[in-house]
Amino acid sequence: MSRRAKIFWIAVMVVFAGGLFYLRSLARRVFFEPPPHSDESAKARLSEAVLQSGAGPNEIAVLLFPSLSGRGLVAESRPIKWAPSAADRVRQVLLALAEGPSQRLGHPLAAATTVRAVFLTLDGTAYVDLSSDLVSGIYPGIEAESLAVYSIVNSITTNIPAVKRVKILIQGQEVDTLEGHADLTEAIVPDPSLVKGNP
Amino acid sequence: MQSLKKHLPGSWRKLLLSLTLLISGLGLLFWPARTLRSDNFVFYFPTSRRVIPLEVIDSVQYLPLLPVLNLVGSLSGLTERRNNLKLAFGDSHIELHDGDPRVRLDKKTLILAAPVRVSNGKWMVPSDFLTTVVARLTSQDVEYQIGTNRVFIGNIKPGSFTLRMEQESNGARLTFQFTDKVTVHTESVNGKWVMFLGDHPIQPLEQSFHFQNPYVSDVRFDDQDGLPKLVITPSAGGLNFYPELSEGDKILRAEVSKPAPAQPPPQTLKAPPPATPSSTAATAPLLAPGPATGTAAPAGPATPAGPPLPVVALDAGHGGEDNGARSRDGVLEKELVVQLVDRVRQALLTTGKFRVIMTRTGDANVTFEQRAVAANVAGAAYFLTFHAGDLGGGSPQVAIYTYQSPGLASPSPEGGANPFFVAWDRVQENHIGQSRQLAQTIERDLAVLAGVTVDPATPAPERTLRSVNSPAVAIEIGSLSPDVDAGPLTDPEFQLHLSSIVAEALSALQAGGA
Repeated sequence: MSRRAKIFWIAVMVVFAGGLFYLRSLARRVFFEPPPHSDESAKARLSEAVLQSGAGPNEIAVLLFPSLSGRGLVAESRPIKWAPSAADRVRQVLLALAEGPSQRLGHPLAAATTVRAVFLTLDGTAYVDLSSDLVSGIYPGIEAESLAVYSIVNSITTNIPAVKRVKILIQGQEVDTLEGHADLTEAIVPDPSLVKGNP
Repeated sequence: MQSLKKHLPGSWRKLLLSLTLLISGLGLLFWPARTLRSDNFVFYFPTSRRVIPLEVIDSVQYLPLLPVLNLVGSLSGLTERRNNLKLAFGDSHIELHDGDPRVRLDKKTLILAAPVRVSNGKWMVPSDFLTTVVARLTSQDVEYQIGTNRVFIGNIKPGSFTLRMEQESNGARLTFQFTDKVTVHTESVNGKWVMFLGDHPIQPLEQSFHFQNPYVSDVRFDDQDGLPKLVITPSAGGLNFYPELSEGDKILRAEVSKPAPAQPPPQTLKAPPPATPSSTAATAPLLAPGPATGTAAPAGPATPAGPPLPVVALDAGHGGEDNGARSRDGVLEKELVVQLVDRVRQALLTTGKFRVIMTRTGDANVTFEQRAVAANVAGAAYFLTFHAGDLGGGSPQVAIYTYQSPGLASPSPEGGANPFFVAWDRVQENHIGQSRQLAQTIERDLAVLAGVTVDPATPAPERTLRSVNSPAVAIEIGSLSPDVDAGPLTDPEFQLHLSSIVAEALSALQAGGA
């Protein structure tokens, strides 16, 4: 075989091998899910963040809970020691919502809800990754789900001005709705018109 | 070829040959024509189903041997000579010869209805191989009727159905009586109505039924793609189709009728003109497909003179695996809203001013997109989605919602931004103002319902409404939650009053009286 023929066939084989390697990596990306982070590790990261928080002076956090009687959100204040970073503050707000209201108001997050992760982007979007326990505290319904979502969004944006909108993920995944109603397909901007004065 | 042999040593030639075979194999694997074959054989297993292409040789149906054996078990050995194939399948040994109907299975000789063939390098066996050989190879039941394109392997009890057709004054009624409970999901495809029959395997007594009738020309059972379905071919375009499950989901009644005479067009809301869907999927709807040409077309010869009636799309929320809310006494939202939607449908049809399509009948899984597509394809003038949920407070209550884009809270009172282009999946943003008018009209009329609390119409990010290309509202009745009984909501009187008020509100809106 001539030298040129050898070079030609080697080049063909290299291109073919490269193609196969690409197809293989593509197949891995398409057909195999990335290794899931365990809930335990997510909880560990959360605990770490919570421990790091609470070093500052006591301030007031305004939490917005769904009203039981009317169609809106009711503000409830409580003292809080803010964590230094905005992402940890978002976690603090979510955990405070999960603790529930002190008045007779609705629970937007089930107490068992875990905040798996929080990411902030430069355009002011907060990505909050919540555990699927979230929905266990909400009765399905247009009003109930809508108020639960805006309770989360309005509470975060009210307390952390750097956050302009909130994208809710469940178990690390984008979902269509919370429980068949509230549209979660895009980042949600707060709706101040929902905030009412009294429970 | 001589120069190739001259330039390439033996090992390189083998490599080249292997590469060629590999590329050809990959090409065959991804060749789209494979999936376009119309003749398939369906293998039903207890938890799955597989489709294998059939080949007809000398008017005999042949199946590819190796894929069939791989479906029912696993091959442990294969020896192929020129006209002879020996296979090891579990503890059994099979021997076949090209052109010979005899198959040697261990020490027995079995005779097939037609000779074994080798076609395009593939060993093919006649379909009675399933009962003659496969039934002996596996310890499972194999149920196959000669002449059909399906086999049931394992512990499967396929259902069946009978069909009766009755002529009516303005159409025809098809009554399907099934042996088992079915779910139905309807689509309009290429001018035909296709009713998917859930996941239950079906062995029809008759494959197709033909009629000499101005409404339906034939009804055919088809599961060539592994999905059991009934395909109904109308005799003309522009007919309405109303399928409905009843009596424990074992009886499916489908009414085919001419649309009622035309009414004046709407004056207050600029509703899109009704259309006759013809080529796109809709979901469990009552649809009027156009002529069977496969493309959007004006109504066919059965359409009376004058414009057709406006379409109201009724959507019963949830369904299938999604139960929605549940009351303390066990009432499920998905079932309650189907009842309510049926009453609203009756009330709307009674006015004689509307055609009605339903995005879901029976207990079917229907996606948000399918619901919107059903309404949009039908050119719905109005879309109403019905829900039941936790509204707090006492019962009964009614709340009405228009769509609120989550990325755009508190829209302006004038309605949506009405940009030049709107993504199809958020097209409702173009109808916010009209939807609000619709909501307010219904809310105002509902105020006369004694003993019922009516909440003011408000916006909410209700997902079902997002992709609907017409004035659309969500109507939620409540409270349906684990804390209270559903009693008042299941009361027929409440449902009838609510339905008639909704129908009256739409009629008034249509007549310009809002």
